[in-house]
Amino acid sequence: MSEELSVVGKRLPRWGAHDKVTGAAKYLADIKLPGILVGKILFSPHAHARILNIDTSKAEKVPGVEAVVTWEDVPKKLYNPNKLDLILVHPELEFKDMYVLSEKARFVGDRIAAVAATDASAAQRALELIEVKYEVLPAVFDPMEAMKPGAPKIHDYAENNVSVHFGFPVAWGDVEKGFEQADVVVEETFRTASNHICQLEPCTCIASFAADGRLTIWSPSQHAFLHRRKLAEIFGMPEGMIRWITPHVGGAFGKYGSLSIEPVCVALAKKAGRPVKLEFSREEDFFGTESRQRFISTGKIGVKKDGSIIALQQKMIVDGGAYYTHNFSTTAVNMGGFTGLYRCPNVAADATSVYSNVPPTGGVRGYGNHEGTCVLEQLVDAAARRIGMDPLEVRLKNAKKAGDPSSTGIPMETCTFEEMIKLGAEKMGWKEKKMRKKETGTKRYGIGMGIAMDVSGAQPFTIQHRNAFIKFNEDGSANLLVNAADLGQNIIGALVQIGAETLGLKYEDIHVVAGDTDSTLYDIGQHASGGCYQIGHAVINAAEEAKRQLLQCAARRLGAPPEDLEVKARRIFAKSDPKKEVSVGEVVKEAMYNFKGEHLSISGKGSFSPTLNPPPFSVVFTEVEVDTETGTVKVLNILYVADPGKAINPATVEGQLEGAIAQSLGYVLTEDYTINKKTGVLDSDNFNTYKLVTALDMPETKVILYEKPVPSGPFGAKGIAQGAMIAVTPSIANAIYDAVGVFITDMPATPEKILEALKSRKAFI
Amino acid sequence: MKKEIANFEINGRPYEVIVTPNMTLSELLRDSLDLTGTKHACEVGQCGSCTVLVEGKPTLSCSTLAIAVRDKAILTIEGLSQGRPLHPLQQAFIDSGGIQCGFCTPGAIMMAKALLDENPNPTRQEIKEGLGGNLCRCTGYVKIIDAVLMAAETMRKGGK
Repeated sequence: MSEELSVVGKRLPRWGAHDKVTGAAKYLADIKLPGILVGKILFSPHAHARILNIDTSKAEKVPGVEAVVTWEDVPKKLYNPNKLDLILVHPELEFKDMYVLSEKARFVGDRIAAVAATDASAAQRALELIEVKYEVLPAVFDPMEAMKPGAPKIHDYAENNVSVHFGFPVAWGDVEKGFEQADVVVEETFRTASNHICQLEPCTCIASFAADGRLTIWSPSQHAFLHRRKLAEIFGMPEGMIRWITPHVGGAFGKYGSLSIEPVCVALAKKAGRPVKLEFSREEDFFGTESRQRFISTGKIGVKKDGSIIALQQKMIVDGGAYYTHNFSTTAVNMGGFTGLYRCPNVAADATSVYSNVPPTGGVRGYGNHEGTCVLEQLVDAAARRIGMDPLEVRLKNAKKAGDPSSTGIPMETCTFEEMIKLGAEKMGWKEKKMRKKETGTKRYGIGMGIAMDVSGAQPFTIQHRNAFIKFNEDGSANLLVNAADLGQNIIGALVQIGAETLGLKYEDIHVVAGDTDSTLYDIGQHASGGCYQIGHAVINAAEEAKRQLLQCAARRLGAPPEDLEVKARRIFAKSDPKKEVSVGEVVKEAMYNFKGEHLSISGKGSFSPTLNPPPFSVVFTEVEVDTETGTVKVLNILYVADPGKAINPATVEGQLEGAIAQSLGYVLTEDYTINKKTGVLDSDNFNTYKLVTALDMPETKVILYEKPVPSGPFGAKGIAQGAMIAVTPSIANAIYDAVGVFITDMPATPEKILEALKSRKAFI
Repeated sequence: MKKEIANFEINGRPYEVIVTPNMTLSELLRDSLDLTGTKHACEVGQCGSCTVLVEGKPTLSCSTLAIAVRDKAILTIEGLSQGRPLHPLQQAFIDSGGIQCGFCTPGAIMMAKALLDENPNPTRQEIKEGLGGNLCRCTGYVKIIDAVLMAAETMRKGGK
């Protein structure tokens, strides 16, 4: 791999780019099938209610209505939409508490019934004619209230609405003793905010049963095989009777880590005996699909005068909403981030998972690590202020090094924090800016930083099993068959680059079949930034097997031993005598078409299961200007230094980081996913009131890829996409503090909250 | 509901379509004509994904009644390249990395086309203002803006 690379590391067009710029790319809503029906869901208008009776008779009589389903029509099978229980080391910790349609509504927007009709207006009219008699129950919208004695009980099994207390083994040393030894202890409670994914393609799905009972489902899953197995369990079907197709996906960011509306769609298609398309409006997507997990997180840090962190403690209430979904996994990852980012001899963490009558949360980009690291990084700044030390120096003092365990506990092959912090500080002019004389006017400048490590997959907490298949065509091109879902992160393009490099082909020589469970080998799916690092190896293994067969065939033809042969730019030649050469296509063709009876479809299957989990590293610096009269925060500049190992395609890696900057800006400043505490109704369910960052809001940004290839990675690559927000968010929060000396414990930091904090001058150092 | 036949000129071709008074232009394009490159992401005019050009003017097709643009020239993403392999904007979006999931891409490209038709040499800030109504959740807009600058340069040099 020390040789010069010809495909890997190049800025090539992302996979599917041509289709995407011409409008040819098909997303779910673009797919039509003969006889397809329009599905619609009836959502609960009540936050907490028991259904006494549902009368669907009038709805069924509406011309064009082909099916109406209620809780009585769906399997009485509890499930958890989160796929992780199928691969987790501790599956019992992801509880099953949800039905496809329930006889009890637990939040405004819970799914009560559904209809399928020949057109949207018939479906809508039928929905309006479903008569539901509810017994409205008292509801509770805040986890702290929900835990009090006498609070409404949301799930029968959960006393005081507590689903579980995680007395996690995330602990080492003696945290109490650590705090005693500390010169400064800082403690603060944060309510880490929810935000909505707002992928631009609203949640959509198609289900269709063939005459033999086989189900085909089109849905943008991140985990087609795992979700297929979930559907099979819910509906009591053999897995092989379900084919799951993932077309182009209009953004995901963790959204399709859960089963979403697929079970309702399947129930409708089954009853109607015709294909059904269920397509959410933007409003339905807002209240009817999972948002970011919330934590009420009390963090405590103890530091010595020299800046060393000696104790870290975290106590959390997991505010997961009406259903459990990802509560365990996001909490565990949150703790990993909080306790695992820095060297610290004494740590402890625990959490209590609580239900309330608000829309369920789930796993969103950063998956708990974003929340845990955000709290920690603000505490590190606070501790630095208290001991009068530059927060950058505190970070350098405690930064982990190669050989230390990462936040997953697995030792790290490389660790570039120190170099990256120093590089970023120099590029940013950190010292001068940080030590500046502070302004006294109404416009205050501030600078802040944050660091983060994330993961390249979920080793060692879940099964991580990847496969790829490569076969050659007569023209020397190849097909890569792989169940990777391209969500915009360009995983498929990266895999093609890896495959082409290994095979000695060009980027455009590999054609891809992806996202179809019938024509690809098993893969656990897209999560935890594991695709490039893990599937990359499966592709290399498949390519090497295919190449071995290719060279063996070529050896016979050229009269040279296979080990003397090399493939470059679709040609095979002998290293000892380059005149002995043949095209790849010739060899492939000869293996297929000959009268010697030695037939071979040159191909390779590759698998991979990791033992390591190298983290990508991020160091982010942010400059802001805060107006003390209006409370508005203007982000001036963001510098992102990232170590993705080897960037397989630097352009698309940069794109991940730039996109994450925008998402963090929205999270910190504008995206307010709040739920009315009296009614349980979502306050913002459209883009006018739920403000995504626009082009106009973007500050100057600079991304530096500090590439340090990791020995265990495919060509040295690690994961990058999921973790890309994690350091950005606290860097903005710390810059706001640097500007005006207040910080916001419940994002977003709206002008109102900033002004309020300035007024009360909350004493936080 | 009352149905009538209306004529449209879409991507340079004449179309005769049965429309209802409440049919939007995006429904006409997507449902009646299978021109699904125009996307629905909010259907209430808040995201820009459905942007097409009507007589050269950027128009939110989800919030425009089909009947209101009868007999007018409509350009969608499918007609942009007009027989060439790709329009410079399409090529620039590919080359700059201005695409991720691609769902906002057609709307952003059509908006950028209107912008460059009006202002062939925009500054970064002018592009930000021009595309301020086109939401993208993936890219952070950095490479989208790069793409428009790149296309503007190509077009000024005579590349069409």
